This record gives sequence, C-alpha cells and structure tokens, in this order.
Amino acid sequence: MGAQDLNLLSLMSLFIFLIPVFYINRRLRLTINKTMLTSIARMCIQLSFVGVYLEFLFKFNSPVLNTVYLLIMISIACQSIIRSSNLKVRLFFMPVFFSLLIPFTIILIFFNAVVVRIDNLFEAKYLIPIGGMLLGNCLRSIIIGLNNFYSGIKKDEKVYLYSISIFNSRIQALKPYFKESFLAAITPTIASMATIGLVSLPGMMTGQILGGSIPMVAIKYQIAIMFSIFYTEYFSTMLSVLFSLKVGFNELDVLNQNIFISKG
Amino acid sequence: MIKFESVYLIRNNKEIFSNLNFSVQKNEKVLIQGKSGIGKTTLFKLLLGFEIIDKGRVSFNDLDIGKEHIKNIRSQIFYLSQDIDLKDGRVSDLLDEILEHNVLKNQDKGHFTDLLNFLDLSDKLLDQTIKELSGGERQRIGLLICFLLDRPVWLLDEPTSALDDIMKKKIVDYILDQEKTIILISHDNVWKKNNAVKIERWL
Repeated sequence: MGAQDLNLLSLMSLFIFLIPVFYINRRLRLTINKTMLTSIARMCIQLSFVGVYLEFLFKFNSPVLNTVYLLIMISIACQSIIRSSNLKVRLFFMPVFFSLLIPFTIILIFFNAVVVRIDNLFEAKYLIPIGGMLLGNCLRSIIIGLNNFYSGIKKDEKVYLYSISIFNSRIQALKPYFKESFLAAITPTIASMATIGLVSLPGMMTGQILGGSIPMVAIKYQIAIMFSIFYTEYFSTMLSVLFSLKVGFNELDVLNQNIFISKG
Repeated sequence: MIKFESVYLIRNNKEIFSNLNFSVQKNEKVLIQGKSGIGKTTLFKLLLGFEIIDKGRVSFNDLDIGKEHIKNIRSQIFYLSQDIDLKDGRVSDLLDEILEHNVLKNQDKGHFTDLLNFLDLSDKLLDQTIKELSGGERQRIGLLICFLLDRPVWLLDEPTSALDDIMKKKIVDYILDQEKTIILISHDNVWKKNNAVKIERWL
C-alpha cells in the first residue's frame, strides 16, 4: 500500500496559482517575484535530485554509502549554518561539524536500535529521512544559538571585558551570553511541542498517513521524532557554542574580531 | 611593579604608542593627563590583556602579559572603566555574584555597611537594576566594588567625573590614603591638590 502517484502534469498544474500571485506582487510593487521564482526553481530541482539519489540509495542500501550520504548532508548543513550565522566557514567548520555529528549519531542510532528496533541500523529507509529531519531542525536552532552568542558579545564587548576583569573567569563572563542565546535557540521547539496537533499536523505524520500507515502508528513515530529533534537540537546547539570557543576567543579571552564575515 | 618597555601599538592604521616607556612602582599613585585619543585607556587595556602590543614588553611584577600569567595578573588588578560597564541586573545580585567569585580579605558585614555609608549609597539602591542608576550612582557602585575586592592594583578611568564636589574630595582623600598601586586617568583638578600623586603628562 502507498500513496497514489502524482501525474507530472497534474503536479505542474500547481503553477497556475502563481499567476495571481505574480499579478498581485506587481500591483503592490512587492519586488519579490525574482527571489520567489529562484526559490521555487531551487526547490523543484533540489528535490528532484534527492528523489534520484534516494532511489539509488534505497536500491543499494549499503551501510557505507548511506553513511557517506549522511556525512555529506552534515557538511552541507554545517556550511549553511555558519554562513547564516555571519561567521567564517573556514574557522567554524570543524567545531560545528562535530557538534552536529556527535548528538546526531547517538540519537539516530538510539532511534533505530532501541525505538524502532530495526535489525539493520543503516537501513536507508529509516536512516536517511530521519537523519534529514533531525538535521533540518537543528539547522535553525544552531544558527540562532551561534548568531546570538557571538553577535551578543560583539555588541556588548565592553561589558563582557569588564566582567572578565571583575570575575577573572571566562566561564562567569560568558554565562549570560550563553544563557540568552541558548534559550533563544531552543525555546521555539519547546513551544512547538506544546501546540503540536492542536494547530498543525506535522509533515512527517501527514506523509506517513498518506503512505498508508494507520494514524496511531504515524503518531507514535511523530512523538519519537519530536523527542529526537529536541534532544539533537539541545545538545548540538550547546556543543556548537562550547566547541567554537577556541576559535572565537584568543588565549587572553578576548573575542576574535576576524571571525565575522565582513559585510560590504 | 608595572613596566612598559619600548612599546609599539598600531590600531586601525593609527599609531597609538611608539616607543612608550613608562613604569610604576609598588604603592605609587600616578595621574595620567592628556587629551582624549592619546591612548590613556588603551594603557589599561594592555595591562589587562584586552589589547595586545605589536612590539616591546609589558610586564606586571616581572611577569609578561600573556596566556601563562593572565589569570594571576587579572586577579591583582581592579579596573574601573570610564562608563562602569557593569552588566545589567539587580545591584544586589551583581554584588553577590562578584563576592561569590572573589575571595575577600575582609568579609565583615560591618565593613560592607561602612563602605555603603561612606559612599552615600542607600540599601534601597541595591534593589534597583544597574540600568536604573544615575551616572554618579554607578560610579559609586564601581568604587564600592573596588573597595570590597581590595585588589593590590587599581586602574581608575575618570573615577570621579560624575560625583559632586564634596563626594569627590572625600573619595580622592580615601583613595590616595590606600596602600595600593594606583594609576589614574582624570581631568579633575582635585587629584592634583594632593602631593601623594605623581603627575604624568602625555602630549
């Protein structure tokens, strides 16, 4: 059993609604037509490629290939996180990579081995979609975490340095900035756990139901996934700040000014 | 105790120090005067390791300012910045936090109350947040922390600029009476009236 296949032409029919959108954008002089088109094109192309990869990965279902694919996904996520945080990829790649990899691996293996109890931990059908969901959600929280942390200290540098001089402890001086950025990063997920099901039905559940699962099974998966997302986000955000301290600050605890992407 | 030897520092293509030689003996009180932008505050930042020199040597008790000794050095210096850059929050919480992370020689509750009275700070003020304080109140809270921590070296950047004349006089006398090594930046003439101060004029 599976969802009914979509005819390519009927899928394309969704483009029809772009006509009024374009018209209204033009009348209201919202200059987003170009950006919108690029985004739509990227979505279609990227997802088509993923469709092709996934067919390929599912066919071979090789643990090595699946792992390599996930590592590539993590690397891409890493770059995107660092760029969106206005930080230099060259400096932050390693710390962010490991802060994603560690919690991600632990949670993913736990999910497959203990929660779903599949025999082949590297089964493409579970590993890749679940991995993708975890990564996609971590992206947002690490960006908020790193960005708030470093830009917070940069904006507030005098106060930060003054704390260093008074407490003579880097941890004590960093604490308020860490606290603020970490809370900003994980609060949205906590809030969304509180309203899930009331307001929105999550995409994964919808997909599973369309794919033929009974609602109870889909819901159990959804609960498991929400836990996993929350844990991965929590630890990867925390680790990304901790692991990056070494590149973020010089050995005298002063913020390195060369870590930011210069705008201009 | 504090030595700057042939120090060079360039920031944003501007020469701040070129061949600066300057030293302060133990328990000496030095007042630095000179127009703004000449690097007076930068001098303090170098001692605290917040800025790093391009060439030369800066030492504290013969220890180089660097990774190895920075914790030791910072633990001996109290710095009062011009704007008293305390992080926001309730004054009493901040004081608790400071006392929690520093070992005080004089932990007597009476000593604390005496200092509050001396600085004309009311108990009510301790319940306010740093942001709510006026410039003068902030300056006095900064001095309170300075006197409480009782570190051997004080770097004071315009410590009396927001105080009234009576308070100024009181505080100048108190500070200069301490057995501390003190470097001062101030435009207040009241410091000069006291012979305890060595004046260093930077042009």
